[in-house]
Amino acid sequence: MEHQSLIFRIFIHTMALLVAVVILAPLAWLFIMSVSSSVDLSAKPLHWWPETLDFSRYSLLFSQSDNSAGAAFMSSLGNSIKVASMATIAALVVGVPAGWAASRNPQLGWTLGGVIGTYMLPPVALSVPLYLILAKFGLLNNVFGLALVYLSILAPFVTWLLKAGFDPIPRDLEDAASIDGARLDQMLRIVILPLALPVIATALIFAFLLAWDEFFYALLFTSNQNAKTLTVAIADLAGGRVSDYGLIATAGVIAALPPVAVGILMQRALISGLTNGGVKG
Amino acid sequence: MSTLELHGIRKSYGALETLKGIDLDLQNGEFLVLLGASGCGKSTLLNMISGLSEPTAGEIILDGRTLNGVHPKDRDIAMVFQSYALYPNLTVARNIGFGLEMRNVDLTTRKKAVAEAAEMLQISHLLDRKPGDLSGGQRQRVAIGRAMVRKPKLFLFDEPLSNLDAKLRMEMRSELKRLHQMLGVTVVYVTHDQIEAMTLATRIAVMNGGQIEQLGTPAEIYNRPTSRFVAEFMGAPPMNILPTSAVAGGLRLGTTKTVWRCHHPASEIVVGIRPEALKTKTIAGGLRLSGRVELIELTGPEQIVSLALDGASITASLPAEEELRLGQALDLYVDTERLSAFDAETGLRVEITSEHPKA
Repeated sequence: MEHQSLIFRIFIHTMALLVAVVILAPLAWLFIMSVSSSVDLSAKPLHWWPETLDFSRYSLLFSQSDNSAGAAFMSSLGNSIKVASMATIAALVVGVPAGWAASRNPQLGWTLGGVIGTYMLPPVALSVPLYLILAKFGLLNNVFGLALVYLSILAPFVTWLLKAGFDPIPRDLEDAASIDGARLDQMLRIVILPLALPVIATALIFAFLLAWDEFFYALLFTSNQNAKTLTVAIADLAGGRVSDYGLIATAGVIAALPPVAVGILMQRALISGLTNGGVKG
Repeated sequence: MSTLELHGIRKSYGALETLKGIDLDLQNGEFLVLLGASGCGKSTLLNMISGLSEPTAGEIILDGRTLNGVHPKDRDIAMVFQSYALYPNLTVARNIGFGLEMRNVDLTTRKKAVAEAAEMLQISHLLDRKPGDLSGGQRQRVAIGRAMVRKPKLFLFDEPLSNLDAKLRMEMRSELKRLHQMLGVTVVYVTHDQIEAMTLATRIAVMNGGQIEQLGTPAEIYNRPTSRFVAEFMGAPPMNILPTSAVAGGLRLGTTKTVWRCHHPASEIVVGIRPEALKTKTIAGGLRLSGRVELIELTGPEQIVSLALDGASITASLPAEEELRLGQALDLYVDTERLSAFDAETGLRVEITSEHPKA
């Protein structure tokens, strides 16, 4: 609408501000907690703003001395990056061809529906069989084992998302490419995948986040620093006799950084994909 | 020399047979138009020539080589799609050169070939752009350039002009005709537009229900349609079809008093008259149809007049200069040479010779 009344404009801006506050307030509080001293955090009434900025917890978590909380945290950070990256990459390797095949053969759609149907099962139902399988193959408390479990969650999701992404790419383009003499790999590499790049980037972000934030299976299938992931490590911080809420908040801030980095990286791919011009040949 | 031969091509999807035995023989340099309403199987036939689908039965031979089972990329055929199917992420130059790139032609040769094609199609200034930045007509030119640059044995066009507006369509039509005359290539062109078919083709195959109804030059198809379907499909406004009844020594047209003196078979006959065959001037030995002017539609160069006869109505294309009024009585004349007769039952053409009264 070109002409909006003043009241309507104020209403829109107020609502936008409200949404922004709702989204940003927990993040802001997380950061404030991570730099407040324990005294400030446990004071009554609560000190919303710390007297002094306390960055000691960051140095604690980044410290590398043996058997320190920092070493455990850093190894779990490494495990999380390893597990989430492996699972995401493997899911894309499986999901890109599978999504394309499902998009081009609609009669196969029911198989995808069936796989998505397994999502209806609660993770608890699958935990025992998965545990037994991992134990059988000696993959308990192992980053590869956990990545494999995540792959089984991510692959259907990524395939389904990518199928929806391939659907609007006209089949004529593939026909034209094959008449023009392209082999299957050339057709995918030069024509189809560049057009699907935005949705591939989206799938990558969501798959990475899903793997990064997963807690339940990680808790069940890992037991020490060899494979324990960040979500479990943060839970451990709260599990002791004394819970340092500031420390948990600090770990939360650090845990949020890698996904943000992936998001920023992918945003470029998203934007470049979108500016490449419409799909309408 | 015949380039493309189709022998007994059939295509079935389950129990549904969309093509019921197509036989065609295409000479080198010919421009064949497959013409038909949607669903008649013309695009299916084109897809089988290109290799995008395989016939259920029959043989496709290009330059003496059987193409059945050969992958599209190995057929030496180029195709222009209705949607243009340009690669949106590649530049115009790369789009045009794509076929050469896939065939590992070196960059200098490729650039030269692309530049030549672009020059011929007047799109040299667009080579660095992406397809998304081009207008419909420009995209169409790029699509033609992409097909042309490889110098294939056969060009396929799948309703290439139907996404363009009327003016551009006419422009591109002439352009295609010019290119065909210049390059002398062999073309199979699918369309539902009879004007495109008439203007472009060296031969037209009118298709109906998965079969070729008539194959011939545009003039043959228009003037001597072999069936009522072809007669009614070709021409705008469409041919007038009048039922007849046998009277002594001839056929009475409809319920009018007009009698066509002729030798006719015993079966029931319908008579077709092209609107432009009807004249206001008397024609020696011609038939006279008398009626009342019911509707006048001026198209510019001519007026399309609906004439109410006794119990029937016919359409005539008359010069715009004729002064006519609604409701006036009008006599129209037609040369019996320009009548087409069809069997009412089978719809097939029946040759009928007029019997001229002795002078």
